[in-house]
Amino acid sequence: MIHVSFSSSKFTAVAMASRKKVLLKVIILGDSSVGKTSLMNQYVNRKFSNQYKATIGADFLTKEVTVDDRSVTMQIWDTAGQERFQSLGVAFYRGADCCVLVFDVTAPNTFKSLDSWRDEFLVQASPREPENFPFVLLGNKVDLEPRSISSKRAQQWCQSKNNIPYFETSAKEALNVEQAFLAIAKNALAQQNSAVDLYNEFPDQIKLTYAQKPPSSGSSCC
Amino acid sequence: MSETSESDEVRELFVQDGVLLFSAAASFINFVKSVGTLMITEYSDGTKFIEWKPIDVTVDSDIQDQEWAVVNTVEKRIRTLSGTVPPEHKNRSKYLRISFEDIKSFRISDKSRRLTLNDGKSEPICTYLFQHGNCDHLVGCLKTLVKTVASRRDKHLFIIPDIKDPEHEKIDRSFAELNVCTDSAYAWKLWNNFQERPVVATFEAFAKITDLVYRGPEHREIDADDVKEILNRSITEYESTTTTHSQGDYEVIDVPDLPKRRDFPRGKPLNLEQWLGVQDNEGRIEDSECIKLMIFQGGIVPSLREEVWKYLLDYYPWNCTKIERQKLVSQKNDEYFSMKLQWKTMTKTQEDNFTDYKERKTQIEKDVSRTDRTIDFYAGDNNPNLQILNDILMTYVMYNFDLGYVQGMSDLLSPILHLMQSEVDAFWCFVGFMNKLSSNFDADQVGMKEQLSNLHTILAFIDPDLAAYFDSHDSGNMFFCFRWLLVWFKRELSEEDCMSFWEVLWTGFPCDNFHLLICCAILTEEKRKLMDNNFGFTEILKHINELCGQLNVEKILNDAQGIFYQIKESEQLTDVVRLLLGLPILSNNSFDNHETSPFEESIDASNGSSSSPPKCSVDNVRISPDEVTFEKSLSSNFL
Repeated sequence: MIHVSFSSSKFTAVAMASRKKVLLKVIILGDSSVGKTSLMNQYVNRKFSNQYKATIGADFLTKEVTVDDRSVTMQIWDTAGQERFQSLGVAFYRGADCCVLVFDVTAPNTFKSLDSWRDEFLVQASPREPENFPFVLLGNKVDLEPRSISSKRAQQWCQSKNNIPYFETSAKEALNVEQAFLAIAKNALAQQNSAVDLYNEFPDQIKLTYAQKPPSSGSSCC
Repeated sequence: MSETSESDEVRELFVQDGVLLFSAAASFINFVKSVGTLMITEYSDGTKFIEWKPIDVTVDSDIQDQEWAVVNTVEKRIRTLSGTVPPEHKNRSKYLRISFEDIKSFRISDKSRRLTLNDGKSEPICTYLFQHGNCDHLVGCLKTLVKTVASRRDKHLFIIPDIKDPEHEKIDRSFAELNVCTDSAYAWKLWNNFQERPVVATFEAFAKITDLVYRGPEHREIDADDVKEILNRSITEYESTTTTHSQGDYEVIDVPDLPKRRDFPRGKPLNLEQWLGVQDNEGRIEDSECIKLMIFQGGIVPSLREEVWKYLLDYYPWNCTKIERQKLVSQKNDEYFSMKLQWKTMTKTQEDNFTDYKERKTQIEKDVSRTDRTIDFYAGDNNPNLQILNDILMTYVMYNFDLGYVQGMSDLLSPILHLMQSEVDAFWCFVGFMNKLSSNFDADQVGMKEQLSNLHTILAFIDPDLAAYFDSHDSGNMFFCFRWLLVWFKRELSEEDCMSFWEVLWTGFPCDNFHLLICCAILTEEKRKLMDNNFGFTEILKHINELCGQLNVEKILNDAQGIFYQIKESEQLTDVVRLLLGLPILSNNSFDNHETSPFEESIDASNGSSSSPPKCSVDNVRISPDEVTFEKSLSSNFL
């Protein structure tokens, strides 16, 4: 059986039946200074620095990993956290296979923002099935005191959002970072495997016309 | 005009003080950027020269260590048409002397404040800047001494025809062939008219030809097209050998429609001597444009930055006296501390009830602790300079609450505070910088979107291939340049480079939005790597981000200046690009794309045509057609 699926990014074309390399696009979102850049660098480079600057614009790192015997390239995107930069950051949301939400367990406001980060992502990235799109929540800076958001509270929030997986991490101490990203990769891959197309439209067709919707289910065959 | 006082061998036909030697041959490098006197001289053998001599700057050693050394530079301003010969005239060894025979053309620019002499072969011989008044009198005098012809393509360029030049003969011969004009003076007059009043002159020429055809002495039949052909050929051939565009040391780029890119090596930085030299006895700087131009060309010596930046960032007005500055500083000091007191005295309850304020405060704390911590000045725990950085940003929130604090601002403040080392001075300089860049931090990011769109417009003009490549690779929104533009390359450059770079951009030379030409300079440099590797959206962004720490400031400034002149001198220059660069818009007149100097204004006025068009600033244009394109590309990219 040959099963071919497409996603809207040309970097995520996958031939599932084959052992072809898979590219997973992961977006890290969350308030300024919750540790997005640090988590990314800890996972990819196994390094932590107190001297990271506030992210301006966007950047990404890639890492080769093996998930369920599959060789996978993770492309992890890091964007600026301040709210006003989001109107431009959306350029990077498209084609995402997983969205990682991050808050700082010592800063309650960063937890309160999670809803708006999630909603904003779903609006801008427009995945086909928003309720099934894979999110993962990271409560970062667990090495710091005093803690203001309990595990229970975070987990409750996750349950209310269709059981988002939750990890408590410390980018500084490299605590749970590897496990968290492995889960992120698995969720992203599972999503790619199950969904024919995460997104509503094909980019090539969008360019031709806005009014005309492409066929909604014509992309799979068995 | 020619009446001169007698001297030994030299007659000074014209003298003008306050002329800065802007560029010259290597042997005069020590005098470049010095102020001096420009003269037209005639020697006893009849040879005429344009001579420039530097003013000897004498510093009184007794007062050298004071804050303000008194420097005696311009003794008095002289501009004479009769030769008042200075007593030291016999010692002319230091003079930059250029024989009339070597000058093939000269170009007037910057509203007649800049004069460049060309030898018609390679580099310009030299360029003078007229700090007091302009070069009109000198050029007026020059025109009485030599025959000059305005260039047809560049009306700021005046050609001095060489009598022995074969091209000159060719034109004479053309007129002779036609047998229209009996003497060459008439031919030259006719040709000059062609430059200035082409329509009238053409009809005049045709009238002559009509005379010739119907009533001519030899009843020779001449086709009018032949006449045009001969005239045009002569003029074109003549000009192709003399325009400034034919000079050496070009960088070849593969855009056929633009003039070749010229090289603009960086000049020497503004030094203390020059800086003090442009101030009058009370410490006023009258000619701020000249200073800015020098900074644009070569930057500022580091030890002088702290002082000059206050002017560039509009803290000190250029024309204020030393006493006025002291008063201003005291007043600004009080103003700063009263604003600082406003937030310092806010109670916790007030803060809790003032969410917007609290958010800004939190964001500043977060960002200050991660701003340039690798630089010694900000390194280490509990570094007091971080507190100052924090306090300035907090006070700025009180100064401009609407803008408040946005990420990136701490990057803009950091080098300023490091340089100034004074909280109050750094604050007011930062205010000046923010006034230039505030639209970068709009809540809706309109300012940034507009800049990215404008960058695309300019790039599409100078390198359509590259712009089309970005369009077809999901990168037409130019987002990969976001970081460059938001903090003016602060993240890409070392602190020292950043300082040299910013001060050049602050001058406002040579045009509006010069920073977008910087972007174009880098992008066109990277073009081959991007296109040959067929980079897509992600790879382009990665490649551009990885240029961090790789950029050579001198090179990008040089290249961007080259691009500016390519654009300015391009015959296809569009009004959209003119607007973006602050160049005058020309209504339906694509032939002439140069600014109007007082010389041409009088000609224009006599012809009843309109005078210089209104200068439009890009600020007036909120939505350009490309803005729409940009929105479209946003939509298509984000869906």
